[in-house]
Amino acid sequence: MKKISKQFIAALVVIMLSHTMAMASSHREAPLISNDPLADNTDVYAFRSPCDSNNVVLIANYIPFEHPAGGPNWYTFGENIRYEIHVDNNSATTGDDIIYRFTFQQVDEDNSTFFNIRLGKENLKTTYTLERSINGGTSYTVIVSNGVVPPPNIGPRSITNATVGLGASDYNSLMMAAVSTASTGEKVFCGPVDDPFFVDLGGAFDLGGFRTNGVDGLEKFNCHSIMVEVPISTLQKDGKNTTQAANILDGDFVIGVYASASRPEITTLSTEGGKSTFSGDWIQVSRLGMPLTNEAVIPVGFKDKWNGTLPSDDLQFAKYFSNPELALYMDDSQFGGAVPGLSALRIQSNSLGAFDFRNGKKGLWDLKGTAAVAGTALDDAIFGTILLPDDKSPRAVDILPIFYTGVPNLRPYQLATGKGGDPLAAGKPFINNFLPTLGDYLRLNMAVPVTPRNSPDFNSLGIVQAAVLGLTDPRFNGDASLQFIPNMDGFPNGRRLEDDVTTIELQAVGGVALAAIGLWYDDFEPGVSPSPVTQDLLNVLTFQAGVTQNDTAFKPCFPYQQTPWAGFTGEGYVGPRSTDPLPLTWIGFQAERSGKDVLLNWEIANSQNNLRYEVEHSLDGSRYSRLGNVQADDDNTSKYRYIHSGASPAVANFYRIKQVDKDGKFSFSPVRIVKFNPVAGITVSPNPASNFINVFSAEKNISVSLVDGAGRRMAITKLESGNGQINISALPRGIYTVVAENTKTIIGTWRILKQ
Amino acid sequence: MQKIKHFLRKVLGLCLLVLSAQIQANASSHREAPLISNDPLADNTDVYAFRSPDNPELITIIANYIPFQLPEGGPNYYNFGEGIRYEIHIKNNPATAADDITYRFTFKLVLEDSTTFFNIRLGKQNLKATYTCEKSTNGGASFTTILTSGMVPPANIGPRSIEGGAGLNTDYNTLMTNAIAQATSGEKIFCGPVDDPFFVDLAGAFDVGNFRPEGNTINPTKDGLARFNVHTIAMQIPISLLQKDGKTGAMATNILDGDYVIGVWASASRQQVKTLSSGSEGFTGQWIQVSRLGMPLTNEAVIPLGMKDKWNATSPYNNEDLAFAPFFINPELALYMDDSQFGEAVPSMYSLRIQKHALNAFDFRNGMPGLFPLKGSPALDGTALSEANFGSILLPNATSPRAVDLLPIFYTGVPNLRPYQLATGKAGDPLAAGKPFINNFLPTLGDMLRLNMSTPATPRNSPDFSSLGIVQAAVLGLTDARFNGDATLQFIPNMDGFPNGRRLEDDVTTIELQAVSGVALAAIGLWYDDYDPNSSPSPVTQNLLNVLSFSAGPTKNDTTFKSAFPYVQTPWRGFDYTKQPRF
Repeated sequence: MKKISKQFIAALVVIMLSHTMAMASSHREAPLISNDPLADNTDVYAFRSPCDSNNVVLIANYIPFEHPAGGPNWYTFGENIRYEIHVDNNSATTGDDIIYRFTFQQVDEDNSTFFNIRLGKENLKTTYTLERSINGGTSYTVIVSNGVVPPPNIGPRSITNATVGLGASDYNSLMMAAVSTASTGEKVFCGPVDDPFFVDLGGAFDLGGFRTNGVDGLEKFNCHSIMVEVPISTLQKDGKNTTQAANILDGDFVIGVYASASRPEITTLSTEGGKSTFSGDWIQVSRLGMPLTNEAVIPVGFKDKWNGTLPSDDLQFAKYFSNPELALYMDDSQFGGAVPGLSALRIQSNSLGAFDFRNGKKGLWDLKGTAAVAGTALDDAIFGTILLPDDKSPRAVDILPIFYTGVPNLRPYQLATGKGGDPLAAGKPFINNFLPTLGDYLRLNMAVPVTPRNSPDFNSLGIVQAAVLGLTDPRFNGDASLQFIPNMDGFPNGRRLEDDVTTIELQAVGGVALAAIGLWYDDFEPGVSPSPVTQDLLNVLTFQAGVTQNDTAFKPCFPYQQTPWAGFTGEGYVGPRSTDPLPLTWIGFQAERSGKDVLLNWEIANSQNNLRYEVEHSLDGSRYSRLGNVQADDDNTSKYRYIHSGASPAVANFYRIKQVDKDGKFSFSPVRIVKFNPVAGITVSPNPASNFINVFSAEKNISVSLVDGAGRRMAITKLESGNGQINISALPRGIYTVVAENTKTIIGTWRILKQ
Repeated sequence: MQKIKHFLRKVLGLCLLVLSAQIQANASSHREAPLISNDPLADNTDVYAFRSPDNPELITIIANYIPFQLPEGGPNYYNFGEGIRYEIHIKNNPATAADDITYRFTFKLVLEDSTTFFNIRLGKQNLKATYTCEKSTNGGASFTTILTSGMVPPANIGPRSIEGGAGLNTDYNTLMTNAIAQATSGEKIFCGPVDDPFFVDLAGAFDVGNFRPEGNTINPTKDGLARFNVHTIAMQIPISLLQKDGKTGAMATNILDGDYVIGVWASASRQQVKTLSSGSEGFTGQWIQVSRLGMPLTNEAVIPLGMKDKWNATSPYNNEDLAFAPFFINPELALYMDDSQFGEAVPSMYSLRIQKHALNAFDFRNGMPGLFPLKGSPALDGTALSEANFGSILLPNATSPRAVDLLPIFYTGVPNLRPYQLATGKAGDPLAAGKPFINNFLPTLGDMLRLNMSTPATPRNSPDFSSLGIVQAAVLGLTDARFNGDATLQFIPNMDGFPNGRRLEDDVTTIELQAVSGVALAAIGLWYDDYDPNSSPSPVTQNLLNVLSFSAGPTKNDTTFKSAFPYVQTPWRGFDYTKQPRF
């Protein structure tokens, strides 16, 4: 412990000093990732599984605002992107301890349609490879290959209809079939899901226009999710499972998680609408550990840089946590008066008659080096240099550790319960996700038991609710002993899908964590107020950011997230049928060569009132003459055949069948054309061609030449055996004429397209 | 006309070659991801071109970009991209090889206060965009700057950001009005976020054709673009700047004057090489066209997946679009309106059935001869279908039935020549002279939105105004006593509608589906199968009525339009817009 702290105290001091300067050197760039949705990491979750407490679930979501009906090219994971989940379980090692890297490939099963799914075929069909590194990224092992990504949930015709679509029993079956198990034991799913996040975007970003009845800006949008459910023994640094944990806050069971997306440094667009090509190093373009860091903590001038930074270089951003912008809107001496949506949140300016935590104020600085903090986390011998760096970094004592180190189970970071009014005294433990890497990670203590999702105590306020129970509920507030308080497994100790992180973070900026450990709100007067649970505290606890739950339920077990919203729901419309005065239906009519003859076959449905078929022939497609009659059957066969003998040598033969009813009405079949090549058996292929054209001829000793659009002869070859090849790979693209000649005359010409 | 013919002769030969070659090219599929769907900033969503309803001497051209903008999509609201060339291309003369006019827009973004995560705070705006507009009248050889430091209004975030004292302390319409600028060369310009004027039931269309017509009682249709914004580039241009000889609208010889046809398309281009570094990006290299749009829905519902990226990168000039002609002369959509193909499997389109024995003779289903049996016949003399005119394009072979209607609608425009006149006055012979209803012929053999600027605008408040555009003009010309008396040229309401240009109101999805199902053929007298020339009392048969009463989904936008430039509506406000189901 001491060793670690000394290492980064030095670093911290240097970086914090340099940061006052860095503020001035703002580079002015557009927030890049908002223009690259495929690589945009939207949320990360990490929680102990409510379905199997031996496992921890890690989720990274990408591609925001996916319109469920966003066709014809529905969203899917991008090729040439490395999607990664990073796990740190040991603050003594540098870099990641475990990395899961996902890469995706797409194929078109039928590129002749504009539909995404048609006739059982799927376009942009995506599969993935999962690799894992357990040595900080030095080497990777493939643990899933050809993993299946389910298709977009387009609608019933695409998904369940067996004639025109995939014929699945339902979408969920596609989703469950896509769950795979890695060779190393992890359960894995990649695919579209309902976006589990919920937030009043319209309120939040209209200058903090939070409202009680907010609108979920992510309502009925999907995202693409990468999920792994991992045995705790795989994630714990010594391979232990939770039965081997010393207690429910065992510090050896803390992991830090973040996700990222990286792209190759150089993208070169095709000049012809083909795929881009990629080269160079991989550049991290998106990352996410703690929710909302880059939305609502990092200012716009640094957002792109934050995305490109590794958590190990995060100290440059520490000042946005130790004096957060959001705090300005909860402080009447700053812009507090101008943001009525946050009026319930007022940071302590005079806690216990002594401490001011507003931006730029001293916070607990006056305690620095005093005997009172000896033995607490605030002691310079422990973490005082981080937590009390100077006299104007008030939130280095609460917001910074929540985001950058996790919160240790050390004085003063225990609930006021049992403290006897002294915030620095030992109190009731409620969190220990301390992993002091000084970077933005979602930190989870895996030893903390799971709050059942159906428990009446389950609450989306996470640790805030655990604190409330530990302070006020007689089941938990009797003494300072360590016991499981429901929701100790909630944000910011990891993050469950249900956790209302927007509210929790705003409450945290509003000083709720300080209050929980006994640094009460301004309206609590020690020795006078009957209870520290004052109106100011109640205001904070009853504040909510506008939307408190997702717009749909979650699944009880893996993959936990909900089936993606379907683009089309409800019954299909059936249009009025066109009437056809002709009763019969032409099911098929084929005409094919057979030597010098032509065979005509046709099939009829709904054959009623049908007298005969007249077979008609034309040499020009315009004037037809009758070849003969075929009497209509009334039985069920309804299949007919006619042979036109001696159809050759006419080059083009047009056929149609005139169907005549008993009442004299008639109709025509489609027209079929049969061609006899006047050039005896010469074929030229392929067309279009790229490299070679092959010429096959029944006649020997002919010469074949290639003429360009300007009449120039570009190649010539003699076919002595009747077969030959012309190399056209060096010719410019365009149209060419192939001319075949025997000794006397030109016997045929063909147009071919060189691609 | 003489010039056009000369030009055509040049391209005809090539056209024939390519058409025959392309039947094969169909098979050479290259398998690519649709690139532009992953580059929203450069994604051109729609192009409009119409004679302004409030001033007959002005043409309005609108190109929209960046689809599906959630009004509350902060903290980094959508904006035009830097490093992108947004362009509007205009062709007014088929004898020239490239653009006759090009407008190029480029944008710059600045942060006025980089210390906040809010987009707007205390009068300061982040990612604030301005633009430069350049114009070329020599095919892009040189450009002249006609507007600098044009203002793009901010996102319509909400009352605190726009009206509030802690915000910009103004109102949104003032911001929008103030952003309308006048170019030095006479054009009026607006660039900024607006309500997406397009409307379509996306899920209905793309769930293998699960259309929900408006007003059906089974499953109410949903506008998939309801309450989304786009970024628009809108221009209002005097006709005299667009007409090839500098003539005004008033100087047109008649309302279908062929010298007043323009072709319009828009594009976005990026530099070829993008280089990322930690937290920034840079661009170098030649400019590559990554998105283009002329006629609506071409690349959504005509071009198959395997060719979509290539289509975006292709120019409509130099016959490059001929590579895609097979998808118009035998369109995929037609397979779903043909019971011998997949028609039976697409119940929502049962009312759309392509003629398989029009006039007991002509079959227009995919692969069928269409009018090819008439090829070379003396009956065609003097029509557009004769070999002396455009027969080589319109009747290329016995398996290209829609080269006679869909191909010209998308690739050349429709000439005011026999047989492309309404059946009114034809006395039952589709090849006879009939009532003129369209002339947007500009035979460049490429996908453009073609507008005859001499056709008067239908007032938007007229009881005759219809979102069915030319289809409605045809209906009136065939059935309305005001217009169906004889074959004389007269203005029929909605002759200024799609596909003669495109008005914001036009329901192009429905019109195009009706067109694929043969409504244009019916209009010129190639009636539906249930019309028997010998016995039917009227060619306006049940099948024709089925087609005319079909709609693809929503038939109008989810909000109104402005009565004056830029016509498109104020963007939806992120804080408090009223929701409407989108799927």
